[in-house]
Amino acid sequence: MAEKPQHQITQLLAEWSGGNQAALDELYPLVYEELHRLARRYMSRERRGHTLQTTALINEAYVRLVDQRNVRWANRSHFFAISAQIMRRILIDHARRHAYAKRGGGAQQVSLEEVAMVAREAGSDLIKLDEALKILAKMDPRRCHVVELRYFGGLSNEEIAGVLKVSENTVTRDWNLARAWLYQQLTGSAAN
Amino acid sequence: MTPERWQQISRIFKSAISLDGEARDKYLKGVDSSLRAEVDKLLESHRKASDEKFIDGVAAEANAALLIEEDELNEPPSHRLNKGQQLGSYVVLDALGSGGMGEVYLAKDTRLDRTVALKVLSEEIASDQRRMQRFRQEAKMASSLNQPNILTIFEFGEVEGLTFLATEFIDGETLREHLRTQKLKIGEIVDIAIQVLAALDAAHEAHIIHRDIKPENVMIRRRDQVVKVLDFGLAKATAERKTSTFTEQESEAATEFKTAPHVVMGTINYMSPEQAQAHAVDVRTDIWSTGVMIYEMVSGLMPFKGATVSHTIVQILEKDPVPLTQFTQRKAPAELQRIVSKALAKNVDERYQTAKDMLIDLRNLKKRRDVEAEIDRTSSPDSPRPTIVSEQVDRGPQKKRVLAIAMVAMVIVTAGIFAFSMWRSSRARTNRGAVAPPVPSDEHTLTYSITVQKFRDGKAYQEPFALPGEMIFEADYKIQIQMRTPQPGHLYIYNEGPPEGSAPTEFVVLFPTKTANKGSSLLAANQVVLIPEESRFEFDKEQGPETVWLVFATDSVPELEALGAANPNTRGLITEPARNRVVQDFLSKHSVQKPTVTKDDKQTTLKIPGKLLVYPIKLEHH
Repeated sequence: MAEKPQHQITQLLAEWSGGNQAALDELYPLVYEELHRLARRYMSRERRGHTLQTTALINEAYVRLVDQRNVRWANRSHFFAISAQIMRRILIDHARRHAYAKRGGGAQQVSLEEVAMVAREAGSDLIKLDEALKILAKMDPRRCHVVELRYFGGLSNEEIAGVLKVSENTVTRDWNLARAWLYQQLTGSAAN
Repeated sequence: MTPERWQQISRIFKSAISLDGEARDKYLKGVDSSLRAEVDKLLESHRKASDEKFIDGVAAEANAALLIEEDELNEPPSHRLNKGQQLGSYVVLDALGSGGMGEVYLAKDTRLDRTVALKVLSEEIASDQRRMQRFRQEAKMASSLNQPNILTIFEFGEVEGLTFLATEFIDGETLREHLRTQKLKIGEIVDIAIQVLAALDAAHEAHIIHRDIKPENVMIRRRDQVVKVLDFGLAKATAERKTSTFTEQESEAATEFKTAPHVVMGTINYMSPEQAQAHAVDVRTDIWSTGVMIYEMVSGLMPFKGATVSHTIVQILEKDPVPLTQFTQRKAPAELQRIVSKALAKNVDERYQTAKDMLIDLRNLKKRRDVEAEIDRTSSPDSPRPTIVSEQVDRGPQKKRVLAIAMVAMVIVTAGIFAFSMWRSSRARTNRGAVAPPVPSDEHTLTYSITVQKFRDGKAYQEPFALPGEMIFEADYKIQIQMRTPQPGHLYIYNEGPPEGSAPTEFVVLFPTKTANKGSSLLAANQVVLIPEESRFEFDKEQGPETVWLVFATDSVPELEALGAANPNTRGLITEPARNRVVQDFLSKHSVQKPTVTKDDKQTTLKIPGKLLVYPIKLEHH
């Protein structure tokens, strides 16, 4: 990460905000790496009963990655948008890896291994949610975006409204509909 | 659903949600009846989703356990207690390990001057009042059990905010590890089974059901091979918790099984039919699980194992496993088969009704064998039993292989390994001086390079580029192996599967395949072979090194020829344990001699004197 100068990331972010999709391709792995690293660090630091604050985490990544002097405010929204997407990806990667994780370890501990079940089950719900979001994205990209920003990015409705340039009321309504639909998908009561 | 219809529905939903009570009803009455049903459902889901706070928090926070747990898998575990530290009357001697549930220490009980295993439960678990209540109860019950094959629980307590369980300390290994490292004889298997059943008999007498009998919960003491069954009672508390995640969603339990094909559930393979169906269980469930365990010890295979949880459950409910007498690696006596099949009766009323009954049968079998052995010993010496390739065992649908189709990809990268195998004919270097070892007349040279190409949405978006040799791949890389032999020779390529339990390592035949070279291993000079022919191999999400074994030989290798070309029905997977063992033995025997490796910027060249080159390409991926 260190060898990637801040201004390059700032530049990429600006290009992407300006509509250059290719910039995202370069930006994505850089931000992924940083967010993943931070998430892991947060978890090991805050394992003892604290919670992982997604917004704090993304903020820290933003401060570290983006040159503050050369950035317009709009870039910040864009950074949060891409970060929400990446947080989703990180969690899904973890969930999938968990599904495959092999158990092992010391003789005495093995009998305690059942606990892994909980994490794996949580992971499988997350994977299902991810699959459902992909369907939603095809039907209705904006509402999918709202879910991504709120659930994976930890943004408030007000912040989401800023990113998507719609009213806060619209965000609330989008959220209600998308969540109801996702709930149906995940509980298997979908109509179609 | 079409986007248009979705737009219609969402508009109606939006209007309806802004109204309440009568106004909403009135509004909905005017709605087209074909849309009405779906809108109603969505409104109902909206209500439930709000009530249940569905995805109300933030994903990373709600699923923090995913991140934590992996940390614990990958990083050295953190221990809350240090050597020499005191916890109540216990002094920590050493850390033994840690798992999601907490840490395990070797400790000394200063009151009684005895060594104990101290399990300190994690804060997360200890703070769950309901579960703790269960633990306490169960531990109390289990601690009343006093039988040499049951791990003794000394104390369940709490000191300075830490909840711990002190148990007898066993210097030994679990049956799972034991199976991995030892080749058990039938007599040893019977001995283990007898001790497990003796433990169960005592527990059942005290109305304690284990519910989670499996090799991980059986320990074998190093010094005398005495068997100890662990976690009586605790299993119940754990099981309770397991099912509670289902009951919270009630009917979800069934779909949970169906929709999570890749979720490996630790204990599913040992579950009885009644357990798998979430029916009430009694002592007979332990008898079933013991039957599964004996079956596994004898055959090295799980009697019920499908590619997914639901496949496994179907097998548990419907399939009769291949009789043990048909496995040839270990000669199982017919009586043992009878005992196991009685333990594995799907109908509980046809199963052994008590552990004692099964125990009696096993003891009788042991006695009879001891007598027979005595007769054998005095008459003729044991002749070695020939090992024949065992019959096809139904292993359910194709297992997910390591080189399987990757799931989701933002960026797909294709890597091609271009391996050129060059044959250097007998150009023996002259022996200079007596010190140099004799140089064989043949020398094999194998050259390969790895070509990477990035794909996106199925389309290449970067030119392929070559790398010298091995690299660390990302999860969604694709691979193609290209080989060329300037001289004729026999080529065999195998992909080594991940180790699974006590079963032998499984291999996938990558070459020869029926289509790639008409099933023949013989390559003509300068023939180019693509593996796979048209598609690409992909890595799945499993991390770690992937091994692709290259075997190139002047003469055909009879034992590898006997395996034939890749079986398209199993996508090349060799299913029979005996055959896998043949490959494993061959590779480990012949890979001892390592080729010299040289790399330039495009390719890696391997050189080996002799007629046979065996080389593992290690493909690290993450």
